[in-house]
Amino acid sequence: MKKINLILNGESRTAAVAPHEVLLDVLREKLGVKSPKVGCERGDCGACTILLDGKPVCSCLILAVEVDGQEITTLEGVGRNGPTPLQQSFIRHNAFQCGFCAPGIVLAATALLEKNPQPSAHEAQEALSGNLCRCTGYEAIIESVVEAGREGGGKKKSRKGQ
Amino acid sequence: MSIACEFDYRKPKTLSKAIRLLAKRGRQARVLAGGTDLVGWLRDALVAPDLLVDIKGFDDLKGIGVKNRALVIGALATFSDVLESDLVAEKLPLFREMAGMVASNGVRNRATLVGNICSAVPCCDAGPVLQVYNAVVHVRGPNGKRKIPIGQWFLGPRKTALRPGELATSVAVPFPGKKHAGCFVKLKRYRGEDLAQASVAVLILAGREYRLAFGAVAPIAVRGPRTEALLKGKALSPDLLEEAGRLAVEEVVPITDIRSTKEYRALMVEVMVRRGLKTAASRLAGKGPAYGINVMEEDAP
Amino acid sequence: MTAMKFVGQSATRIDELAKVTGAAQFVDDLDFGPNLLYAEVVESPHAHALIKRIDASRAKKVPGVVRVVTGKDFPYTFGLYMQDRFIFARDRVRFVGEQVAAVVARDPVTARRAARLVKVTYEPLPHVLDLKEALGEDALLVHPDLKNYSHCPWFFPVADTNIAHWRKTRKGDVEQGFREADMVFEDTYTVPRYAHCAIEPHVIVGQYDLAGRLTLWSSSQSPYTQRHVFAEALAPLGLKHQDIRVITPFVGGGFGGKAGVSMEIIAAALALAVKGSPVKVRWTREQEFYNTYQRQGVIARIKMGVKKDGAITAIEHTLHWDAGAYVEYGANVVNAVGLSATGPYRVPNVKIDSVCVYTNLPPGGPYRGFGYSEFHFGLESHMNRVAKMIEMDPVEFRRRNAIREGDTLPYGAHMNPCGLVEAIDKAAAEIAWGKKEESTSPHKAIGKGFACFWKAPAMPPNAASAAFLKFNEDGSLNISVSGMEIGQGFLTVMAQIAAEVLTVPPGRIRVETPDTDRNAYEWQTVGSHVTWGCGNAVKAAAEEVRDKMLQVVHRVHGFAKEDLYFEDEHVKCRSKPDFALPFKDFVISGIQTPHGNFLGGPILGSGMFMPEFTSATGDPETSQGGHPNVHYTVGAAGIVLEVDRETGKMRVLKAVLAVDVGQAINPDLVRSQIVGGLVQGLATALYEDIRYSLEGKLLNPNFTDYKIPTALDIPDKIVPIIIEVAQPDGPFGARGVGEHTMIAAAALVANALEDAVGLRIKSLPLTAEKVALELRGIRYDDVKGSTMGLCFMGDPQQYAFFTKNSK
Repeated sequence: MKKINLILNGESRTAAVAPHEVLLDVLREKLGVKSPKVGCERGDCGACTILLDGKPVCSCLILAVEVDGQEITTLEGVGRNGPTPLQQSFIRHNAFQCGFCAPGIVLAATALLEKNPQPSAHEAQEALSGNLCRCTGYEAIIESVVEAGREGGGKKKSRKGQ
Repeated sequence: MSIACEFDYRKPKTLSKAIRLLAKRGRQARVLAGGTDLVGWLRDALVAPDLLVDIKGFDDLKGIGVKNRALVIGALATFSDVLESDLVAEKLPLFREMAGMVASNGVRNRATLVGNICSAVPCCDAGPVLQVYNAVVHVRGPNGKRKIPIGQWFLGPRKTALRPGELATSVAVPFPGKKHAGCFVKLKRYRGEDLAQASVAVLILAGREYRLAFGAVAPIAVRGPRTEALLKGKALSPDLLEEAGRLAVEEVVPITDIRSTKEYRALMVEVMVRRGLKTAASRLAGKGPAYGINVMEEDAP
Repeated sequence: MTAMKFVGQSATRIDELAKVTGAAQFVDDLDFGPNLLYAEVVESPHAHALIKRIDASRAKKVPGVVRVVTGKDFPYTFGLYMQDRFIFARDRVRFVGEQVAAVVARDPVTARRAARLVKVTYEPLPHVLDLKEALGEDALLVHPDLKNYSHCPWFFPVADTNIAHWRKTRKGDVEQGFREADMVFEDTYTVPRYAHCAIEPHVIVGQYDLAGRLTLWSSSQSPYTQRHVFAEALAPLGLKHQDIRVITPFVGGGFGGKAGVSMEIIAAALALAVKGSPVKVRWTREQEFYNTYQRQGVIARIKMGVKKDGAITAIEHTLHWDAGAYVEYGANVVNAVGLSATGPYRVPNVKIDSVCVYTNLPPGGPYRGFGYSEFHFGLESHMNRVAKMIEMDPVEFRRRNAIREGDTLPYGAHMNPCGLVEAIDKAAAEIAWGKKEESTSPHKAIGKGFACFWKAPAMPPNAASAAFLKFNEDGSLNISVSGMEIGQGFLTVMAQIAAEVLTVPPGRIRVETPDTDRNAYEWQTVGSHVTWGCGNAVKAAAEEVRDKMLQVVHRVHGFAKEDLYFEDEHVKCRSKPDFALPFKDFVISGIQTPHGNFLGGPILGSGMFMPEFTSATGDPETSQGGHPNVHYTVGAAGIVLEVDRETGKMRVLKAVLAVDVGQAINPDLVRSQIVGGLVQGLATALYEDIRYSLEGKLLNPNFTDYKIPTALDIPDKIVPIIIEVAQPDGPFGARGVGEHTMIAAAALVANALEDAVGLRIKSLPLTAEKVALELRGIRYDDVKGSTMGLCFMGDPQQYAFFTKNSK
């Protein structure tokens, strides 16, 4: 067993892990964050997406020992003071159906907007193409991301104008 | 499904210590960088090492830089690094085009280009692009450093020239030294992420020098010397494009597997070569589509 | 009817906040503490073999292993409609991946390691994967004991064959119909198997406590049906319905794959084996593919007679289904198609044979569309080809034959109100049908495709729904039902229905996911019937609540009940305009009288619905005489498809789908169904492709090689069109719309492909590879090779001989 330290959703946490333990399982079973989901365990579906030092990654393809000293954000760490504008946009669009892919998609889209505050529909599609959703046909999800970007951008502009 | 095998994990502080560990444990040790292939293989019990040597602590293996008139891609540079590098975009945009077609964002943020060629699966995307640039893999081992030209790197599916105890530290891509343009063409089952059914990298250098390489249509990424010779010094006419496409098919040995029949692979190599050459030529002429499109999906210029 | 305030509005889903914040809990997210045990299943490597010996001695010795369980421990069968499935394979395995034993351990790694130490000795038997072989003379029998299996009364297995069920429907006289026709055309269409691919794999936790209580936390569309099947299967151990409790939190996608009982039976059995401790069975993605249900493959032979004026005179439709090793649920798919394989057309003479065939492939079962997607591929392809032969526009041909209210159905009952013609006209207009479009690219061509569809829920005649409804102190409501939120928006729609009756906005209504101890009964969430069935139950419960509330006000204030009405969560009175009693003032504590006492008390109500007019008593030889289906939902769809002649690659430029939902309770959610269903359907047409080896092993049980759509793989534009011809017995006129949205998709692509490049492909999927090869005159079947592994081995034309077997 090795002890790992990490910043999980802004809080310093530790866990004792064996080298073969996968980060996804450790997050869920030892650290109690359940939003990253077990979907395919081979990096195909994106349900296990987390932000590792701010970047979306598949936590099913990472050993827990590898992330010692790093910063992890899961959906539990997003919108702690109420839904973010992006989450509100998803809600307005009734974007998710069963919701199992939602944690991964919300995180991937959050990271996209950080990098590219006003993505085009194609950029949103590209950024989310590793997150499989079997229910929705993606249309409302993409619209939500694009609209959140547009409105977020609008807000910034109006603030500047004031 | 958990990983059922037991192994030790070490993250040495120095590269020489890593080399010593690898040398001592030989084939029982595995290098861990991005891990996107390795963790999957561990889970599927395709490999069962005793030791993983995590090399992510070595800053000098990170990043992408220029050295000796070559682009140097460190062993820890991810496909996202390649995709987002201004240096790559400016100097060798073909790498950017290829990197954008590898897996998906969540995997590209972890998976390394050097790891891709160390895994050495026949459909590896980096292989053909490195081939057309005559890249050189830099290796360190217990007996010091050596350089392996990419043409001698791939020995077979999942087999490379890397010896037990050795570590690929970077891959150097020499700048062609003259004006050039390329096109990476990837045949996939759909627009979303997919392993290549076939891939073709095309590079055209000023002075009508053509280079082609193929992925997923032979046990390893291979060049197309006969096609290159056919094209050398000639301007691309529609007839020449047709001829090049037909000849290229003779230079590959596609097989039928779960992703495609050999017949489709062969037919598509012809189309891919034509479209790739046309697009690269157009780019060389300062026209053509910006890097980052897949001419098998988007409208060809 | 006065304008509705909540029904017909695109309300925000009441579960959306929980889903975008990660608060929504799925079974695997529930914590069971350090006593939780994990199971790993030992699987058959053979498609067909006898189990000679199981030696678990080494596995049992591994520290951390709690129990090893085999078929000897649970020698029972189970099944929804036919009891042909085994909790663990007993003497014989029938498909690659079948569960033979399970190791229960303290942690998943130990379970996995120990499972590898269970030594099973097999005697391999010849296997039968191909339908022709399965139906041939002296065919090897997958279930030699078939004749002894118990099954529902509307199944007709053929003893000592591999035919598990044969649905025959006969209306009029087909031979006469063909004689009357000016043109008769016959051909064969092939549809392979498909996988559901819900992103959440199956997972269930079972706990059998020391007091004899069996609780299961299950990712399921069917909590009550699971309880019933568990109780039936485990009855020999003394378990009764009251001892079993099934709890279903949010489900990460179902699509039929989580209907009924498949792998869940393992957890029920293992819980009994490790009494006192909870035990989790979670399928890997691989197991999800090969050991739940798959959509069944089918070879369909269609013979159609038409007059020059376009009237269809007769349809003979013969379907042979590759139903796999166990058909306990899948045989009902076959049954449903056997009743409806004319499609949504008025056909005077009908002969349908729908034959359910056992093979040594994984079990078939329900999948969104329940057989209708499969037969519509052939039928709607055939419709286009027949129209072309009589030189009639294919849309006009469909319109000419479109079914209308009151028409006689294949089994003799009559068609419900429907807006098929309106759907055809609107869908055709939206894709500018008849207007040829040219691609700007020299190597691409654009074609248009059109198809109609229909589907009825396939339910036992007494499938019922029930609802409880109660008020809280603040006037908010709880609705307790056992329909399942599988993503379709069921919870929200139930809230909207109650809201319409009671004027309490959906945002103030909580609808719980099921717990069979506490929530009212629901048969299953399948067949696109819960908006209709459970919606009726919720509406009845809300009406009962309304009556009780009015009664209390009447008792205290003396107003005539007919003068009272609800508005914005107040009781108001037409004869006393200034009277406005907020619900929250009395729905728990009652109303104070001038004497100081209180009348009334907590308001709660219940409602139920069962389609009392249905029956499954049709004649076995003709299906005439019963009323097996409650109603059909119909519609029409069109696409504009761009085809790259060089690569075979296809891009859907526009997709349009018009569906008659009776009344859209929530139009936004109907549109979500249309978009999601179309994308799922188009994927089955364009690239989803299940592959088997010649030994019956599934070769692509993962998303690496079984491709489902990503965000980049959607049509450029989707136009949903909602048609509303009210369903008289539906809540506010609603009927179901979940599955229907994917049914037309495959034929749409096939028809558009022909329009674009003149290629008619009669087997799914229509991959780019297949198209590119066929465009160069290479038959895909000739080059696919054995490593490509398909579930049908031969040339489809060879399968025509089956029609001789059907009298």
